[in-house]
Amino acid sequence: MEESKQVRRLRRLSLTTVIKYAVLIAIVAIVFIPLSVILLSAFKTPPEMVQGTVFALPKSLNLNNFTDSFKQAKVLLALKNTLLITVTSVLLNVIIGAMVSYIIARFDFKAKKLVMSIFMVAMIVPFTTIEVARFSIVKNLGLYNTLWAPILIYVGADLMQIFVYKQFIDKIPESLDESAMLDGASYFTIFRKIIFPLIIPAALTVAIIKFVEISNDMYVPYLYIPSDKFRTLSTTLMVFQGDRTLDWGSLSAGVIWVILPALVIYFVFQKYIFSGLVAGASKE
Amino acid sequence: MNYSLQRKLIIFSFLFIPLALLGVFMLLPTFKLFQFSLTDWDGYSKSFQYIGLDNFKTIFLDSGDVWLSLRNNGYYFIGHLAAIPFEIAVASMLCGAVIGSRFFKSIVFMPYIINGVAVALAFSFFFSPSGGFNAILDALHLSSLKQDWLGDYRVINFTLVFVSLWRYCGQHVVFFIAGIMSIPKEYYEAAEIDGANKFQMFRHITVPGIKTIIELVLFLNVRGVLAAFEIPFLMTNGGPGYESSTFVVYTVKEAFQFSHVGLASALGIMLMFITVVVYILQKKIIRISG
Repeated sequence: MEESKQVRRLRRLSLTTVIKYAVLIAIVAIVFIPLSVILLSAFKTPPEMVQGTVFALPKSLNLNNFTDSFKQAKVLLALKNTLLITVTSVLLNVIIGAMVSYIIARFDFKAKKLVMSIFMVAMIVPFTTIEVARFSIVKNLGLYNTLWAPILIYVGADLMQIFVYKQFIDKIPESLDESAMLDGASYFTIFRKIIFPLIIPAALTVAIIKFVEISNDMYVPYLYIPSDKFRTLSTTLMVFQGDRTLDWGSLSAGVIWVILPALVIYFVFQKYIFSGLVAGASKE
Repeated sequence: MNYSLQRKLIIFSFLFIPLALLGVFMLLPTFKLFQFSLTDWDGYSKSFQYIGLDNFKTIFLDSGDVWLSLRNNGYYFIGHLAAIPFEIAVASMLCGAVIGSRFFKSIVFMPYIINGVAVALAFSFFFSPSGGFNAILDALHLSSLKQDWLGDYRVINFTLVFVSLWRYCGQHVVFFIAGIMSIPKEYYEAAEIDGANKFQMFRHITVPGIKTIIELVLFLNVRGVLAAFEIPFLMTNGGPGYESSTFVVYTVKEAFQFSHVGLASALGIMLMFITVVVYILQKKIIRISG
């Protein structure tokens, strides 16, 4: 009696295990199958594209699509612009975010509630529709078609980031500030020498996820920097999309060029990306 | 300099730039959105006229395509809402004893970090008539189900919702993983001693333990699906007609294609209200059904 119960239990256990792995493998397949079509097509010649199914292996490792799309999409220019915009905005954002969080965490003042609610409002306002009105402001400021437009839009600190930083600053004992003050250090020195270096680890996790999101953004560069010399990794791919006589082979190669930098960053900094998301999620 | 003066100085100087940025690029546009919504501005003329609530009247009375677009947001809403239990289940699987859990975790999240335009193009190809999905149906001897997945108005929204799920589910799964990791292990051990099975543990420990994360995801979900834009904009531009348009695709077209900035601003204001209303309703419904 006792034994058969155990056997039943084991059987059920193995069934759930099978289901579990089946689900996970199915997910991996769903993620990879659409991407595999891109990968296979990128190596195919135009005649190969029309013969056989899209899942047929390419006959050779033909790299023409890669060289063609590299030129057509101006990958280097797009990469340069994307990096310039993203790195500048993320660096400035880290500094701005740290400044706000330092004030919020260490000082009490009358307008503190007001400041926090302003950040709260900024989080609730839907970001795509705001462009309708933001567009006219950016134009009036003379920022249209300059790299400052995306940078100034991206650079603002957000509530989630402030919470994450604040949590870190709260862990720094205030006695550290006080002893520095006894030595005559100014608040600015305290921020620069004590607070800022200590929140760098927190900043890193938020920065990486911001980096990925900004470099993937399509709408802000599409709207504000349409000039050809400012194309980014996102907008450069839209060149292919507008082209109705689609050459799927070189398009696929173009997609790979654009995906590749993000994937490399992802697999190198994976640990930080996850902890950044986790920190954000558990604080909001 | 004494500390009380310094204090004032640092509070002011450290908050000035961040608040100025927020003011110029978030609050001022929000204010302008309200202002423009009462005008007939076309976006480039030097002047405009105040026309009261006419834009809102137009939206309610003669813009059937707005409501068609909003209905399409409904597809995204239902799709992503239905995915949440599944996302939680996958997250709890990945938190348990799984061989290669790190590998699975990174694959699940991978679509989120891929460039959105690249995703849109890859799926435009995948769902094209001679693309990957129809090839799979052929291989499975299901050729009769083949469709023009991005051309036929009866299936187009389902296709786009699938792409949206493909792209964003992983992010939710990672949030849920974060939540589950914060539940003390002892709860599960105690439940196991009491003879609870896996499903009971999931229902009575995991789900209540990640309540705040579920609330966060539900909020992000409402905001996200009502702002659904990138995928339909890039893959179909809302077409054919407005069959696969969304509220924001419609708004953006009105603003930047047809130069109806006044009307588009009114739509933007409406979206804010709809977002808040849907979120509150959703919260109420969840509370009633326990």
